[in-house]
Amino acid sequence: MRVCMFCIVFLWGTGLAWGLPATGDDREPASILTLPADPISFQPGPGSDLASRYCLMCHSAEYVYMQPPHSREHWMEIVNKMKTTFGCPISNEDMGPLADYLVTQNSLQPSPSAQHVQRDDWMETPGQPLTQSGDPQKGKAIYERHCVTCHGPGGKGDGPIGQALIPPAANLTFLGKQSDQTILDTLRNGRPGTAMPAWKNDLNALELNHLLSFLRTLAP
Amino acid sequence: MNEKNPGIDRRQLLKTSLALGLCALTPSELRANDDSTVTLPFERGRRPLVAFPQKRPLMVMTTRPPQLETPFHIFNEDIFTPNDAFFVRWHLANIPQEIDVNTFRLTIRGRVNQSLSLSLHELHTQFEQIEIAAVCQCAGNSRGFFQPRVPGGQWGNGAMGNANWKGIRLRDLLHRAGITGDAVQVRFDGLDQPVAQATPDFRKSLPLNDALQEEVLVAHSMNGKALPMLNGYPLRLVAPGWYATYWVKMLNDIEVLNQADQNFWTTQAYRLPADPCHCVKPGEALTNTVPIGKLPVRSFITNLEEGRTIPGGEPCTIKGIAFDQGYGIDRVLFSVDGGQQWQSARLGKDFGDFSFRSWEAQFIPKPGHAYALQSLAINRIGESQRFSARWNPSGYLRNVIETVNIQTS
Ligand code: HEC
Ligand code: HEC
Repeated sequence: MRVCMFCIVFLWGTGLAWGLPATGDDREPASILTLPADPISFQPGPGSDLASRYCLMCHSAEYVYMQPPHSREHWMEIVNKMKTTFGCPISNEDMGPLADYLVTQNSLQPSPSAQHVQRDDWMETPGQPLTQSGDPQKGKAIYERHCVTCHGPGGKGDGPIGQALIPPAANLTFLGKQSDQTILDTLRNGRPGTAMPAWKNDLNALELNHLLSFLRTLAP
Repeated sequence: MNEKNPGIDRRQLLKTSLALGLCALTPSELRANDDSTVTLPFERGRRPLVAFPQKRPLMVMTTRPPQLETPFHIFNEDIFTPNDAFFVRWHLANIPQEIDVNTFRLTIRGRVNQSLSLSLHELHTQFEQIEIAAVCQCAGNSRGFFQPRVPGGQWGNGAMGNANWKGIRLRDLLHRAGITGDAVQVRFDGLDQPVAQATPDFRKSLPLNDALQEEVLVAHSMNGKALPMLNGYPLRLVAPGWYATYWVKMLNDIEVLNQADQNFWTTQAYRLPADPCHCVKPGEALTNTVPIGKLPVRSFITNLEEGRTIPGGEPCTIKGIAFDQGYGIDRVLFSVDGGQQWQSARLGKDFGDFSFRSWEAQFIPKPGHAYALQSLAINRIGESQRFSARWNPSGYLRNVIETVNIQTS
């Protein structure tokens, strides 16, 4: 999280000097916003990978799960609006299978708490401690499935949609200075306010470790 | 200006409810049984309660970008909605996570004699500071109640709030910059951005004449405190009477245009059927559309909830709120039999034409009965709420008479 301690101190100082009103809530400085990561993800099923790939870039899965049930035609219209109006980079052939999937989700409303429990299970599972070293080959497969559209095959941030994002997808060949823990945190929680999704609901601890070891093989 | 309203504290409420035979629900009774979720009465209406920065736990419709609904019992506690309970609605996920108050500038440009770039310090010290009580209501408020259902944000009735907004008049800023003779509209842009370049940035425009009305403010505070980040810190447009879509948050750019704004959020989103009812038959295609504008008159009962049982045979006070686009509330009528007979409700303190207006009415329910409680507000130009719900494909402008069904013991 990009937190600027100076801004806080500054804000208090100058704010008082101008007679600015105090912040709305003393628990938080007015100028800093730390937003939570997505609480739920798309439920597994045929086509859920398409939804995770194309529908989590701009907004959380709740956008889908709050909707009233829509017919397949209606979902096609919505997906088409995402593509033509808002710039969702989905191909024409992926639209049908995605609409099929969205119809299967019509009556579900996944609960955040259930998923939290599940996630904690992964962290605690004795067989999968976070320190277990990952396998870069397995990591590469996961990367090609989930990351390549944004970060590009060599991790330079030059995937088909990577440069069309604000901010653009990061160049992952310069992660050398970041600790494993920092990178895993980014992967788990994403970067709120950017297209970088949180993966904690889609990938378990072991898969994240595979990814991490693959990211370590990327060189500038 | 206004202090907090004579809102009820716990002790006072206890006394009142004893005197009135306990028909009103206490704040905790009005709250959800389960502290972690509220379930709205429509399909997929479950909303977790989560505390976002500077907010108490609110009903999460979406996390990214944040869209948070005010639990309805809050409207019974205070005529001014507390900042930390005020609803939140962003369109685009790329929201600044920090604001540097020293480098922040508000620009005024376009069809003006001289562009301005003003610091917060200048805005606070060089202009007259104005305060106004006004209702901010999302265009999609109550969309979840549309039948048949429509896509878009599935709000209950809590995407609205009333606050004392403080800031400077937009027209003072525009006059300092000097509007050129060919100006027709004023466009507002905030610091939020899309996540993908292809997504249109969120901007809204008002016709010049509306932008120059004296009640339109560039506000820096609400209810005596700085705006919460999620409600647009450090500045937001306050356009009393207009739907909240015009109240651009984190406002940093004001552009005077010499032709109608062509941007997506004005020409294609937030549109109503053009006919006077602003409604169509479900499924009917829209031909002519107009931009959404001002708030139709509405009222709500706030101290009783659907499905509750109250004691029969004792006097009962029903409380509620009413508001409109700024003509002011003339009267509120109250019915216990689903609208067959109406009695006048008593209006509470007047905090200004754009504010929520409280009202209350008494009745003595018979034991063992079912009642369909309704309220009907009429504004000072004689406009009333609708007797039948209108329908349009985007779920806008709900102002039908709402019903709260209760039983007595
Ligand atoms: C490029 C950004 C982007 C992508 C990718 C995207 N959306 Fe959206 N989506 C938006 C925006 C912007 C809105 C409107 C936000 C608002 O008004 O609050 C929206 C709104 C929605 C809504 C609310 C209903 C409506 O019509 O406004 C649904 C449902 C939705 N998206 C589903 C999806 C699905 C399913 C996908 C995957 C195919 C998807 N979105 C991908 C940007 C995107
Ligand atoms: C939809 C596009 C998108 C996808 C898919 C995506 N990312 Fe990202 N990623 C981004 C963006 C944009 C940023 C830059 C965020 C910023 O500037 O803070 C980023 C940042 C990162 C960072 C932080 C880099 C740094 O310099 O700190 C890591 C690590 C990362 N991504 C790894 C991954 C991995 C691994 C995957 C697949 C599991 C993935 N990303 C999938 C868009 C994406």
